[in-house]
Formats: sequence, C-alpha cells, structure tokens
Amino acid sequence: MTATDIALGRTALRRGRAARRWVGHLFTLAFLGAWEAASLVAPSYLLPGPAQVALRLWSFITSWRDLGHLGASLFHVGAAIAISFMIGTLLALIPYYVPVLRFAIERRLGPFLNAFSAIGWTLLAIMWFGVTPLTVIFTISAVLVPFALVNMSAGLASIDRELVEMAQSLTRRSARMLVLVIVPSLYPFIFATLRIMFGVAWKVTLTAELFGGNSGLGYMINLARQEFDTETIFAAIILIIAFVHSVDQFVLAPLQASVSRHYAS
Amino acid sequence: MPSAAAERLIGEGLVVLALVAWWAIARGLPEFILPGPLAVARRLAELFVTPDFLWNLFASTWRVLVSIALALLIGGGLAFLAHDVPWLETVVDQRIKPVLNSFPSIGWAILAAIWFEPGDFSVIFVEVAILIPFCLINVAEGLRNADADLMEMGWSFTRSRARMLRRLRLPLLVPYGLSATRIAYGIAWKIALVAELLGAPSGLGYLMLRAQTAADSTTFLATCFAIVLIFMAGERLVIVPIERRFAQR
Repeated sequence: MTATDIALGRTALRRGRAARRWVGHLFTLAFLGAWEAASLVAPSYLLPGPAQVALRLWSFITSWRDLGHLGASLFHVGAAIAISFMIGTLLALIPYYVPVLRFAIERRLGPFLNAFSAIGWTLLAIMWFGVTPLTVIFTISAVLVPFALVNMSAGLASIDRELVEMAQSLTRRSARMLVLVIVPSLYPFIFATLRIMFGVAWKVTLTAELFGGNSGLGYMINLARQEFDTETIFAAIILIIAFVHSVDQFVLAPLQASVSRHYAS
Repeated sequence: MPSAAAERLIGEGLVVLALVAWWAIARGLPEFILPGPLAVARRLAELFVTPDFLWNLFASTWRVLVSIALALLIGGGLAFLAHDVPWLETVVDQRIKPVLNSFPSIGWAILAAIWFEPGDFSVIFVEVAILIPFCLINVAEGLRNADADLMEMGWSFTRSRARMLRRLRLPLLVPYGLSATRIAYGIAWKIALVAELLGAPSGLGYLMLRAQTAADSTTFLATCFAIVLIFMAGERLVIVPIERRFAQR
C-alpha cells in the first residue's frame, strides 16, 4: 500500500466518523420532532411536548425543593452502595479465609439473595421500618448485595496464587498481606463492581422511594402521578438519564479504565 | 471427600440455624410484622394448590417468557443494525443504548400506567423496555468478538448473506445470546415485576401488593418465597441444561 492510499483511507474514515455523528444528531432532532408532533395530538397529561418538559426541567434545577429531592435520592444511592459493597465484600472474603463456609455462602446464601425480588424487599421493608429513608436504603442494599458478592468472589478467585505464595514468603502477617497484595489485585474488580452497582441502584431506588420513601425523586414522581403532572415525571426521568449516563461515562468509566491499566496483569 | 461433606453439613446447618433464628425472633413479634417460618411454609404449600394463585403465577410466568423473547429479538436486532449498517452505529450506541440503559424501571411502569389500559400489554411493554438494554449489550459484545478470520473464511465459501447468517454468525452468537437470556431472566423476575404493581389486574406483583396492603404478611412472605422457588426452578431446569447442551458442542 502506498502512502497516498493510506492517506486516502484515513480521510475516508474521518469523513465516515463525522457523517455518523451528523446522523446521530439528525436522529435526535427527528426524535424530538416526532415527540413534538405526537404531543400536539395527545392531551398533555398523556404526553407533554419537549418544550414544556424542558421548561419544567429548568424550573427543576432552579428550585431548592426539587433539588433537595435529587439530593435525597443521591444520599440513598450512596449510602446503599457503601453498605452493600461492604457486606458483599465481607461475604465474599469469608469463603476465601474460611474455606469450609464456601458451600454455605456460595450455594445457599448467594442464590437466595440473588433470587429474592426487589419488590419483595421493598414491601417487606415498608412493613418493618415504615415509610422512612431507612426503608429505601435497606431495599437498595438488599438488592445490591448479591451483585457485590458475585463480582468480588470472581475477583478473589482470579488472584494470582503464585503472587500470594511469594508474598507469604515475605511476610506472615495476614493484615499486611490483605492491604498490600490482595486488595490491590482486586482494584479492577472493585471498580467494575461499583460501576454495575451504580447502574442497578438507580433502577431500584425510584421504585423503593415511590412505595416506601418520604423524600427523593421516586417520592416526587409518585406525587406527580397522583396529580397527573406528567411534565414532572418526564423531567425527573430525563434528569436521571442524564445524571446516570454522565456519571457512568465521565467518572466511573475513566476511573475503571485507568485502574485496569495499572493493575491488570 | 470428608471436607466437601463437612462443607455441605455446615451449609445446611446454617440454613437450619437461620430458620430457628427466624422462628425465635418471630415468636416475640406480632404476625403482621414477622410471621413464623412454619406459618409461612404452610401458606406456601396452600398457595400451590390454590387455583387463584396458580392462575396469577401462570400470568406472571408467561409475561416474563414473552418479554424475554421480545427483548432478545429487539435488542439483538438493534445490535445487528449497529454492527451491519455503519450509519446507524452512533444512533444505536450513543443515542438509543444510553437512554434505555439509564431509564429508571419505575419510569416505564408509570408511563405505561398512564398510556395503556392495565393488562398484559402494559406489563409486557414495561418488562421488554427494561430488558432490551441487557440483551442489546450482550449481543453487541458477541458481534464484536466474532472471529474475523472465521468470518473471512466464511465469505470465501459463500456470497449469500442469509447462509452466512445461519451457518456462521448465529452459531457464533449462541454463548452471548445465552448469557443475555440468563441475565434477562434474573432481571425479569427481580426488577421487572414492578410492572405488575402499577399496571396489572393479575400476576405475582399484584398479589404481593394486595397482601401487603391487607397487612397479610404470611401470604406476602409466602409469595416472595414462591418467586424464589420458581426463579431457581427455572434456572436449574431450563437455563442450566440449555447452557450445558450448547457448551458441549
């Protein structure tokens, strides 16, 4: 292949990429157009138009009360991720250090937690704790624990045996081992787990807040639903999509990539 | 092996211990907060011979199965579109996928409750919408990992796209399709049941909500355990055998 061929190939590629981006923007415009057209036909409690929703979105991000609900949801998600990550990791570490408990954790507790439905946890928590933030955090944590358990177990199973053996010849203290060898080799799994948990948490949080919360976006959506305030529902959904997607793309993905680059063998 | 037997003994022992602890805690609490394990087990056994419960169970199960099939078709179709039609790659990967992936599941449930009559269609719509991103991501991964050399060899034998699809591309996708099915199955039972809380006159979610509002904790817990049992039965009896069958090839 001559130099010109390569150059030509490159411009074609670049042109293709730019064109694709335009197709993407066109699709967005077409979607908004179709939405606007549909909203002109349908009554506004069924489908508010994009302009109305955008206005509501603006009033949302300028209202302290609405932002407070977003903050409450964030707090629920953050607390639940922290709690369930700790519980799941501890549960995964037990069979690693006490092999005789492997069957109990991996074949009895794990599958049970994994099979218990999120709605079951939600309604159960409402009966136990009433309509409080505790209900919401408990529900999300209960749903997330099996994800943490499965992922961290996979991480522990993938630890290099020879590395551990070498470390053992250098120290006898298992705390030192844990901090210097085991936890660093788990970094890629920790970030992958957190990323999955973040995605799943948002899918469950609103459900938990809607049924058992007295604050948060789910609670807000529930109020809006009772008042047929469809604009608020749309605004909340769009806000969540934007927030979840940008955190995943601009915070978690780069973090995970840099950690994997450092620690992957 | 004695150690395997000991492991198993301890495992089952802990289950028994958990049941005993449940029994001990439940004794001091009123029944609407935590009924004892015996009462729940009895109700569970009763439920499985009640025609009303079996009807609701059947309703939920067929909705889950139809939703998984539709989600696989639509998600897989989108993945094929993104892979085979370069123009659409951005549209699928950067527009449709992120939105579906970050869409809260209760959002779909509420929209469906506003838009449609309560019923099968409403529930299946919500479940399919929740499951599509999982299927899309898995099938797209499979298409990306298809062995390029194998594909090139395939093209040297035939020019027919349909033949290529049937003989080479679909078989290469089977493991990814299976893992998509497995994930979708788990999500469907655990998260997508929310569809039946808002927009359904039948189904297990509806039963649970009814039991909860009536403060009938025994029936409520029994239904939760029924879902656990059905979920595990489906996994052991259907999904694992299929996976084993395809793994042998």
